[in-house]
Formats: sequence, structure tokens, C-alpha cells
Amino acid sequence: MTHPWSIAAVTLAYGLMLVGSVSAGGGGSPAALQSFPLYNAGERVDGLPLAAVLRREDTAHFVSFVYGDCVAGDDAGCAPPAEIQIWPSCRRNLGLYDRVQSVGAPAERISVRGVPALLFDDGTRLELETGQSTAVVFAGTRARVLRIAGALRTIDGTVLSLRPLPQPTRGQEGGPSNC
Amino acid sequence: MLRFALVVALASAVALGGTPALAHFDAADRYTHKACPASAANRIDPVNVVFMTWGTWGRAESQIESHAGWTASSGSAQAFTDHGSCASMHTQRASGHGSRFHIRLRGQHADATLGWTALAAAHHEDLVLLPLACGHAVDANGPAGSGFDQGRDELLRRFTDAGHSSSRVWWGNTQSFKQCDGDYAGSDGWTVFIQLHQASHP
Repeated sequence: MTHPWSIAAVTLAYGLMLVGSVSAGGGGSPAALQSFPLYNAGERVDGLPLAAVLRREDTAHFVSFVYGDCVAGDDAGCAPPAEIQIWPSCRRNLGLYDRVQSVGAPAERISVRGVPALLFDDGTRLELETGQSTAVVFAGTRARVLRIAGALRTIDGTVLSLRPLPQPTRGQEGGPSNC
Repeated sequence: MLRFALVVALASAVALGGTPALAHFDAADRYTHKACPASAANRIDPVNVVFMTWGTWGRAESQIESHAGWTASSGSAQAFTDHGSCASMHTQRASGHGSRFHIRLRGQHADATLGWTALAAAHHEDLVLLPLACGHAVDANGPAGSGFDQGRDELLRRFTDAGHSSSRVWWGNTQSFKQCDGDYAGSDGWTVFIQLHQASHP
């Protein structure tokens, strides 16, 4: 379930962040308890403050960090300036786009901080795999997306901004082959 | 059903390969926009339904009314893009005027494999009156998914019950959108392709 959290709740979320990982999936099986490292860009990135932390464990599974604000109206939501979604790589990974059914515009394959990544939607969406996590970055421009990708860091401090990211472990021994 | 899924898969592969001479369906932009020109900053809703085969917007409108019973036409306009061109939607339908299911549609290029196609953005939205009246807001994410997922799934269920073939395709358009009540909602990233028949309903 996803909740938009107020500042107080964001503080609580940071408490969660200190743990360094979250449970992925609401099922009771051991696979459902697979944890995945959380990344964000700190309390501010590219001039945008952290505005909300969201979590989904329903038809989608991720923790989201929303940066900046926007003004929604009647019958018309709005797109926040930037968002980082962290999925367990067993749920979302670059391999989804290798399958024929995974349609969309052609993606641009790049490397970000030493790990494979794909750019979609004219560079306004980046997906990269690192360790057992997949980071999905949304922003208004390619340049901002890449700056945010450069700022990604684990919330437990084991991976710092601008440093090389851990290689993907999906499909490897110890990796999250299923959820 | 398998044959239908294969058609969608093949068309998707062609779309990925960027061979417009064979396929004109354009999935490059998977969001609606508040106005033209389209940009990432004025995205409003994720596209989560594609009508195909006889998927003209008029047939889609007619069959939504017949199979889902969504006959209300109130709501604000949004824009879609197709091959880089931005244009206003063709139509919209809703299940009522208060809290309701709601879908906006725009017909797209015909496709060599998919046939006539129309993009659509479906959702369930609440009419928010308290604590501050702000109007319609898409349901926040919940156990049944977001309002976007609920709208798509309800429409799919109605069409499936009426015998229409369908297929789910991963689009990854999961960006979160802030609503007027302060909640956030986003698609789970799956889009459904629904096959329409030629005959419109009375």
C-alpha cells in the first residue's frame, strides 16, 4: 500500500532507511521476505527537496522518493519534478525489455557508474540495476536524470554518491532469482 | 487467445525495432498531457489501455458504453502524442459524475499488424469535497493497485466478460502523479491491449 507521507512521516521513513532495506512483497514465503538495498539522493538533489516517500506492495513493489512539488488541480494530477523508485530487481529489471512482449520506444543502452542502464522517453526515465535493486529515475530532462543518477547512494551509507555501483546480482548465486 | 497474444508480441517487437514502414503504432509516449506541446513536465496520466484491431476511437467509445456502461462524457480535456505530434483527445467516457471510473481516448495511426488503434488512459477517481473541495482525484495506491490500475482492470474485466480478447504488456510507465487531495497515484506499469470488433453498438 502506498501512502504519501508528510514531513513527520518522511522522518519515520528515514528511520526505515537506517535499516538499509525493506521487505519486498507482502506474501509469507521466504522469497517474499527478500530484502533489497534502498537508494535515494539524500534530502535534496539538483535543488529539489525530498517531498514524499511512497511505498507500494500491491500490483507494484517499490519504495519511491519524490523530489520537489507541483500543483494538481481538479481532474488533473501533476508530475513532480523528480522521482526515484527503488524496486527489487526480481520484480523489475532490465531483462524485462529483452522480451518480445516488453514493448515501448527503443531504449538507449548506457552505463551509469559501472552498471548497465537504459534510458527511455527521450531520456526522462532511467532504469539501472545494481545489486538486488533496480533504480528508476524520472525527471523532466535527460541532464537532470543523469545528475540524479550520479547522486544515488544507499541510505545505509555503504554506497556513496558518484562512486561505482555494485554490479547486478540478478540471476547470480545469492541473487534474487524470484520474489 | 494465444494467437492474439502473438500478434501483440510481434507488433511490439516491430515497434521496438523501429520499422515504421511495417508498423505505425507509436508507443513512444506513454502518458497523457495537460496541453500541447507535450513535455515531461505536463504529464498527467499514464496510458494503460490500447484498443486494437477495429480500435477506432468511435468504436472504442461505443463499446465502452455498451460493455462497461460508462456513458457520462464530463471531464477535462487532455492531450496525447503520436509520432511526435501532440493533439487533444478525441473523447472521454465515465461511469458517472461523482466518484467514478473515467477514461480518455485518442485514435492513433493504423498499424499493419495491430489494425486500427486508440490509446486510452483509464482510472478510478474520487470526488473530493472534504476537508477542502478540490474535485476529482485519482485514487491513491492501495491493495487493489492505484486508481489507474483499478480503472484499467475494471475496463478489462468488462470487455473480457463480453468476449473480447486481451493481452497485458509491460510498459514501465510507473511515474507517480500528485493529486489535488495531496495523495500520489501511479500505474503499476502494465498496459492492456483489447481487441475490438467491427460492429458498433446501437
